[in-house]
Parts: sequence; structure tokens; C-alpha cells
Amino acid sequence: MKNGFGVFIAAFIALGASWCGFVLAPAVQLSTAKQTTVLNSSDLYPIQRTGDATLGLQVYRANGCAACHTEQIQQDGVVCDVILTGAGKNPSAVSNLISTLKLTGLTKEQADGDSDKITAAGGKVEIHIVATGADIARGWGVRRSVAADYLYDSPVQLGGIRVGPDLADVGTRLSNANWQLLHLYAPRSVVKNSAMPPFHFLFESKKIGDVPSPDALQLPKVFAPPAGYEVVPTDDAKNLAAYLLSLRQDVPLYEAPFTPLQVSTNAPAK
Amino acid sequence: MSDEIKSCSPTPDAEPTATRSTVPMWIFSLTLVLIFLGAVYFDHHGGWFDAKVYGPYSSAEELDSYQPKSGAAALLAQGRKTYETVCGICHGTDGLGKPGQFPPLAGSEWVNEKDFKRLAQIPLDGLNGTVHVKGQEWNASMAAMGAALSDADLAAVLTYIRSSWGNNVSAVTADDLKAVRAGVAGKPAINGEQQLKTIPE
Amino acid sequence: MNEISQQKIDASCRVPLLALFGGAALWLIVGLVLAIVASLTFHMPEKFANCPLLTYGRVQPAANDAILYGFAIPAALGVMLWIFARLSQGELVLPIVPIVAANIWHLGVLVGLVAILIGDSIGSQWLEFPRGSSVLLFAAFLLIAISAVATFGARRERELYPSHWFLLAALFWFPWIYSTANLFLASSHPVRGVAQAVIGWWFANNLIFVWLALVGIGTAFYFLPKLAGKSLHSHYLALFAFWTLILFGTWCGIPQGAPVPAWLPGLSSVASALTIIPLIAIAVIFVKTVCGANTDCKGGPFCYIKFGTVTFLLSSLMLISLGCPHFSKIVEFTWFVPAQTQLQIFGFFAIVICGAIYELLPRVMGFGLPFPKFVRVQHWLFMLGIILLVVSLAVGGIEQGLKNYSLESSLPFLRVSTTGLLFLLLGSFLFAANIFAMTFKWKLALIKSVIAAVKAPMETSEVKS
Repeated sequence: MKNGFGVFIAAFIALGASWCGFVLAPAVQLSTAKQTTVLNSSDLYPIQRTGDATLGLQVYRANGCAACHTEQIQQDGVVCDVILTGAGKNPSAVSNLISTLKLTGLTKEQADGDSDKITAAGGKVEIHIVATGADIARGWGVRRSVAADYLYDSPVQLGGIRVGPDLADVGTRLSNANWQLLHLYAPRSVVKNSAMPPFHFLFESKKIGDVPSPDALQLPKVFAPPAGYEVVPTDDAKNLAAYLLSLRQDVPLYEAPFTPLQVSTNAPAK
Repeated sequence: MSDEIKSCSPTPDAEPTATRSTVPMWIFSLTLVLIFLGAVYFDHHGGWFDAKVYGPYSSAEELDSYQPKSGAAALLAQGRKTYETVCGICHGTDGLGKPGQFPPLAGSEWVNEKDFKRLAQIPLDGLNGTVHVKGQEWNASMAAMGAALSDADLAAVLTYIRSSWGNNVSAVTADDLKAVRAGVAGKPAINGEQQLKTIPE
Repeated sequence: MNEISQQKIDASCRVPLLALFGGAALWLIVGLVLAIVASLTFHMPEKFANCPLLTYGRVQPAANDAILYGFAIPAALGVMLWIFARLSQGELVLPIVPIVAANIWHLGVLVGLVAILIGDSIGSQWLEFPRGSSVLLFAAFLLIAISAVATFGARRERELYPSHWFLLAALFWFPWIYSTANLFLASSHPVRGVAQAVIGWWFANNLIFVWLALVGIGTAFYFLPKLAGKSLHSHYLALFAFWTLILFGTWCGIPQGAPVPAWLPGLSSVASALTIIPLIAIAVIFVKTVCGANTDCKGGPFCYIKFGTVTFLLSSLMLISLGCPHFSKIVEFTWFVPAQTQLQIFGFFAIVICGAIYELLPRVMGFGLPFPKFVRVQHWLFMLGIILLVVSLAVGGIEQGLKNYSLESSLPFLRVSTTGLLFLLLGSFLFAANIFAMTFKWKLALIKSVIAAVKAPMETSEVKS
């Protein structure tokens, strides 16, 4: 490049290209997406969080929870399982056939092949789609996270490092608001050897009045305040707990299909 | 000044210059090879810019092949969900109803009829008056809880009721239900068992 | 080239550079203190339970931003101004502009850090400063860029030297990525959904990897031949390195398992592999320029810049490894990722820029470093600190990934990394000592000459300002 203008053009081309690819294209492709539906259902997904949960997201952001927790589940693969739902008119033939076949951990073509064989022998089958991966094996979720999961979040708090467990589906896994509040106040009271710092400033420690507050935390002795005092969650703590309970990614979608083992709803947890 | 500067360059410090050696050819070839390999990788793993293709799926066709077919299981799942939010509050998630208030659906003769048409009209029109279910008398009134549901949803609910808790009769399709609904739309609630029995099976 | 003229060139940079470097040295200390406070949370979690300002989730981002925005960028800008002035063989144009801008910048950093600590963070990594602060930073950067470009435009030798490309590109890069990120993420109508995360990753990569590389390598390409007494090898290879760095490096950064359609991590993966090319080019340039150099300084600026360039290659290799899906599956959300960014920021950039500052500051001030021995001590402290910090986090991260993200297994590694931070903090005290002592000495000399001028109005005295 002969002069400053040449350098400017070079930088413009290079940065412009990646701006188009990683700023403009995702903004167009992902932000303009509309609500989608749950797989094989007419339920809309995602649904807006309730007011408390939306305020809770701001508490999550302000306290930098994303510095230790991620909200994204990864999926390494997908397998099919062939499940027998009916023995049909010739159970012994079907059971002989089944003993020769591998029925779990198959690819789709293999599953279709096995399923055809069993149907031909008179049995009734269903093919279950199962998402696999280390995060799923750990029980952190049932499928990978996709863009639709974050459509209504602002700011999106995906996180980048897992000092603590992933929270994308924590509303399914730990759906008790009291547990969440106890965990925020005294993590070690509910999780052994937890590295999470206690968030005392989200709570108030006050003298017990005529009757104990209905909200007061039931803490084990080691973590309890001095006698005559009770620990009551502030609005921030309650909203944060509501937000955590609203974090659910347990419905199948077109882009992340799986066969739910039990019926899941996208209604907020009670 | 020069003896105070504790740096290692010789003084006076000339501005640096650059040699004019040519770029070795192998680095260009390496770049081209890597670009080619990168293109192959993107072809296999990139999903060709499709908004719906996420790893581990490598193409839109593969993703499509893994979609679970909308079969009986899906219908049951949908039916169960709707049942639990609409009907289960009274008839119970276990189908046993509430003694003295809501009749059971598990093992009910009205549910287990071969044809669903009589059963379907209960949620479509509502039911008042006296009804006997499994030998017991029930005298509550039920609003037309299914009138607001879509054909698909109500068909799924009825399918679910008819194949749960020991009930084992045929499923109900949305089209069949549409036909029944067309026939009974706007009718008042069925009053008592006698009127219920007059509905052809 | 005549020495008096070089003195004037250097002197014209004096106040702007002191304004930038003084603040930078302070923010480096503040940032490292905050980083140590943050890491204390792992060793004594109960300590800060009652204080929202000191909770890990606020202090850690504050530490990162203090070091990047408070130290790295102002130091970079100061070195850039001097290199432009020297390469132009002319004085710094409009020196008052960078002086004002430096103060605006440091104010912006202060406002931003306070905002993070009180809970007003934007919520996106490396972009936590809220709008009040980011506007100040943007304006300050533009002002300094104006002065730098004007100095560049006034050059006598019209042919560009490789450092020109890297540094000019950096002046263009930052305003674009910073404004884009703030408009799309931090404005009143941010972009919706997971696109926020994609733009955040694009910004972070372009700032931490590409921008720091542009400035650091541009600086290294200026000082390495100068200090080695040889010519840079070669103009065309450096051009190749420049083009491939900006074309490929800008596309890295999307994590492999991210909740985005597969084409995004796919492109990043390909770009990461292609980023090997500029690394090879830079490595060849480095080896051919430095090997056989006739100077051999222990612990001086030459050592800093050599060490920094080598660690750049290492940290970029770590970044490239994150683009490989199989490796990324193990280390993706572990300490390995911050290890790479710390290696880039401290191991590469801080060292190169400190070396450059130690080399240019005596010339700019017109007298030697007040504590010359500190340079060597700081070199060893930084090297030790970086090795402790990065190796422990990287190994801890790999182990964490292999062991199911358990924190217990990584605690011993975290203790080592905290020790590394302590060494870095000690080194940063030494750095600040030299800069502040120089500033103080200069101000004292200035006051003395003003007093002398006032006392003896009849004498003609050249006020050295």
C-alpha cells in the first residue's frame, strides 16, 4: 500500500467483511426471528418471562452472575432408540427378531431399518430421538440451546466460563423457589463445598417481630442469624429466584428435536 | 543525554528500515491449501447458512430426517397436556374424579364406548342433571369445557382419555371431531342421563 | 537525520505521552488489585458476602476492563503517537488534542469502573461500560486518532514503513468495532436475542486479538529492527502478514458449541485455522530480524519486546486451538479461555508496550530512567507472573474440562494464578515508579526553570517545556 488511504481501504475491506458476516447477518437472521412453536404442538415458544423474572434478569446482569455461570447447553450428537409399543399378533416372532437387533444408540437410517423389520413382523414401534452430549449426561439439560431460547432476553447472559453449573435449564432441575433463595444466601447450606460466594446483600437480617415473616429463610444452625433475628429476602432476591425458575429449555423444537420422556410444558414452574 | 539513556540501541537512533526480500512461495501455497480445506470443512459442518441447522446436524436434510413423526405418541402427549390444564382440575390427573363432585373417567362406560360421538358431545355442549357412572349417581353440572378447544386439541384430549388409566378404546381424529362439532354447535347442555342415552352412538 | 530535530520531535510528545502513560500506569495497578480481590473470592468466599461492590461478578469484569481500557489502550495510543512522530520525522501535530483526550479517556474509564461496581454493567463481556462512559472513550479515541493521522499526514518520507500499516489500521479498527458494539448492544434498543452474543464475541475478538495484535506487532516491527541494529525482514512478508492478519483474524471468536446456527462457529473454525498463516509470517519475520543481532541486553526493552512477540505466537496458537471443535469440547467453558486472553493482554501486549515505553520515554523526557534497575526486575517479575498465571489457568482449565467442570480440582491452580497476579502487581508498581518519578522530575525541572525565569527576567533563558 502506497499511502494512508490504501491502508484505510485494506482495513475497511477486512473489517467490513467480518462486520457483514458476524454483525449484519446475525442481526438480520436471528433478531428478526419470530416466535416458533414447540415440536408437534401448537404451543408458542418462547413465551415472555413474567415481570418478576424480567426484573430478576437485571439483578443477574448487575451482579455479574454470567462471570461464573453459563446459560447454554451443548449437544454433541443425536441418536435414535427403537421402542416396542405393541407385540402384535405374533409376539414370539417379534421377540426373536428383537433379540437379534440393536435397538438403542442408532442413526436414523439404522432406526428406520430396524423399525421396518419389526413392523413387518407384526409389532408396533416408536422411534425416540435422544440428544446426547456431556452436558446432557450431566443432567444440565435435555437438548442443546438454540437461538429461539433467547429471543426475549435482553441482555442475553450466555456466560463464558463454568465455575458453577450451567443454568439454561435450572428451572426444570431446581424448581423450588425456597431452595434458590437458600442457595443465594448460604450456598454451602444446600450444596456441599460450593465455591459460590454468599450473597448476603440480597437479603435483610432483621429482628423478628410479633410473628416471624412468612418469607423468612429456614436456615440450618450454622448459617442462621443470631437468636431473635430472621433473614428475609429483598425484592431483588425474590426476582432473581423468579428469573432462575423461569430458565427452562425442556421442550423439543424443530432445530433441536428430541422425544420428550414425559410431557413438558412451557408454562412457568409453580 | 546519550550516556544517561539506559537502552541498548546505538546512537544516534536511526529509524528502522525493511529489506525488500520476496515472500517465500511456500507460504502462498500453504494459504491456498488451508483455504481449500476450510471450504471443505464448512461444506460439511456449516449448514450452508441455514438458520435452523445447528450442530450436530450438518445439513437441513439431516435435520429434517431426525424430526419425530407426528404419530400416536405425539397426539397422546398433546392430549395429556391439554387434559391436565382443562379437564384434570376436576376429573383429576389420575382420571378418578372427586367423590361427590366430579365423576371418574377411568373405567367409565361413557368413555369406553366403541364410538366416541356420545362422549364428544359432553365437552362440546356441557352436561347437567343426573348421570350414573360405574354404578354411582352423579348430579353435578359441567360447562361446555371443550367448546373453546380446537378440533385437534379436543380430539387429542379425547384420545388421551380413551387410552389412559386402563381405558383402551380407539383414538379420535380431528376430522371426525369436526364432523361431530358441526352437528351439535350451539345446542344447549345435555340434561341428564336420559337425554345422553338418546344420542346415537 | 539531525539530532536536534529528533530531540524536538521527542519533546513535542512529552506532555501527551505523560498524560496517557501516567493514567495507564495507575489503571494497571488498580486493575491488578481488583483482579487479586476477585481471585480472593475463591480462597475466602465469605469475605465479601455483605458488600455488593466487591462481589466476584462485579469485580472481575471491572479488573478486566481496568487493565484493557485503563492501561492497554492509552499506553498503545501513546506509543503510536510517538512512533508516528518519529517515522514522520516531524513533531507531533496538535499536541494539545491528545492531552485533553487523555484526560477525557481516563475520566471515562473511571466512570465506567464505578458503574460496573455499583451494578450498572451492560452485561456483555469487555463491553460493560455504560453509555456515559463509552461515549467519553469513543470521543477521546477519535481526538487522539486525529492527532495521530495528522502527524502521519505530515510525514516527509512518503513511503510507508510496515508499522504504519498496522498502526493506521488499528486507528481505524477501534472506532468501528466500539461504535458497532455499543450501538447494537448497549443502546436503548439493542438487537434482539442471541445476535447480541454474536456481536459481543465479534467485538471481543476484534479488540483483544486483532486490535492488540495490530498495535503490538506494529510496535514490535518498529522496535525490533531498531534495537537489533538490523533491517526488518522483509517489507513484502510484513505486508503479507498484515493482510492475512486482518482478513482472517477478524473472523475468529465464535465459540464452537454456541447456541447459534452452525454456520457461525463453522466460519470461525475455518478462520482460526487460516490465522496460522499470519502467525507463520510473523514468526519468520521475527526470527530473521532478531537472530544474529549484535546487541544482547539482559532484561532491557529489547528483551521485553522479544519475549512479547514470542508469547503473541503462543497466545494466538491457543486461540486457534479453541477453534478446533474437538479440543474446544474439552476446554470451552474452563479456565483455559481466560488463560488465553490473559496471555494475550499481559504476556504479549503489556510486555511489548512496557518495553516500548521504557525505550522511548528517556528520549521523550530528555533524561534517563530514574530507576534503571527496575526495568530488569520488572522484566523478571512480569515473566514469572505471566508464567504462573497463564500456565496454571491453562492446565487447570484442561483438567477442569476433563473432570466435568468440578471446581475443587482447579482450586490449587487458582492459588497459583493468584500468586502470579501478585508478581504482576509488584512489577506494575515498579513500572509506575519509573513513570511517576520521571513525571515528577520533569515537573520539578519545569518549576525550577519557571522560577529562574521569573527571578532573572533580564537573563534570556530557554524555557524547556
